[in-house]
Amino acid sequence: MWRRLKAAWLAGLAVSAVVGAAHAQTPERPVLNPAPTAADWTALARLPDWSGVWIPESWQLTTARHPPTWKPEIAKQVDDFKALEKAGHPKGLYVDCLPEGMPSFIIMTLGSTEFLFTPGRVTILNEFDGNRQRRIYTDGRNHPDDPDLTFNGHSIGHWEGDTLVVDTVAILPETYLPIDQAVGIPNDGDTHIVERIHIVGPDHLVDDMTVEAPHVLAAPWKVTRNFTRTRERRSDIVEASCRQGDFVEGKDPQGHAAFLPIEHTAEGAPLALPQTGTKP
Amino acid sequence: MTRHLAAPIAGALLIAASSFALPANAHHSFAMYDPDKLQTVTGTVQDFEWTNPHAVIWIVASGPDGQAVDRWSVELPTSPGNLTRMGWTKHSLKAGDRVAIALNPLRDGRHGGSLKKVTLLDTGQVLTASGTAPVASTGK
Repeated sequence: MWRRLKAAWLAGLAVSAVVGAAHAQTPERPVLNPAPTAADWTALARLPDWSGVWIPESWQLTTARHPPTWKPEIAKQVDDFKALEKAGHPKGLYVDCLPEGMPSFIIMTLGSTEFLFTPGRVTILNEFDGNRQRRIYTDGRNHPDDPDLTFNGHSIGHWEGDTLVVDTVAILPETYLPIDQAVGIPNDGDTHIVERIHIVGPDHLVDDMTVEAPHVLAAPWKVTRNFTRTRERRSDIVEASCRQGDFVEGKDPQGHAAFLPIEHTAEGAPLALPQTGTKP
Repeated sequence: MTRHLAAPIAGALLIAASSFALPANAHHSFAMYDPDKLQTVTGTVQDFEWTNPHAVIWIVASGPDGQAVDRWSVELPTSPGNLTRMGWTKHSLKAGDRVAIALNPLRDGRHGGSLKKVTLLDTGQVLTASGTAPVASTGK
């Protein structure tokens, strides 16, 4: 009896070990992005022509034409920040050169913007403080169940005719809803943005955006940014770092080329070069 | 552009800089400049920094008798990328150029400003930092 029990126990132990080993050797299979086919590449040619470089209109026009409806307690804070700006002490919408994030990526960007179509995704590039990028998945996936929060959030899109419809969630709550370079309010979380991006005239593209930010807005914010296409080579996107202007080019103690810090006001205006010995 | 600084002094500065935390300023609003004040500073370009996010002109201002009196920093309100689209290059200004710069000064009276217009006094050429490609608007 004991011998039979011991044999059964040993057999069970052996089975468990095999199953356990097999389990350890077969982790959850990663989801793969399938290699695009020739048909996938061909399909891109049927999309509207968004090639070239797109220059945004002045953000002052954008936000003045489409002011958000803040909750009353938030509107008071906005007024305070406007007063600070008018007094020359702007609140830092640009914080330590962190990414501006969405919706600033569209509403506040200052330089050239480019749209890249590849199978399963649209990529938006711009010059905003470090050549930020957005990735919009158009391969039919959903948002992740438990996404990591990021400055630009997680974006999925689909085409309705010639309009790219984009749905964005998972934006960091610290990311600003901006109405000025010095006036913005953190979205405080649960922000949802729907964009309809389309061409409305010759070389004229619009991003019609609806921003839901339930913690700070009293109603969805409908805002449109206009872009004009240029094919001038001088408008090609160039490198755009955010902090290079904190330094001037000089030499380190070993004689190598080096960036040397310059003095600024608290608000960021350059005040003084390093003592170069060249000052007349 | 004045690129190379005296090595020993620069080295000392680098060591000094490493001993305290520098505020990260870089891209910033221009609210510290007073848009209601327009002032012209005449002098000689010491340095033209073709940097992101804002290019900067450093000039040594001269008094009525032509003597150097103080140094000014003058920020251009945008980046080399956008300035290129406006017709500027990194060679638009160079050390030694005599200039008259119309600017909005810092509100606190220190010698900094936001560029409105620069005139090269030896050629009469005028440069501004505005006038990108016309941009469409739906008026929506």
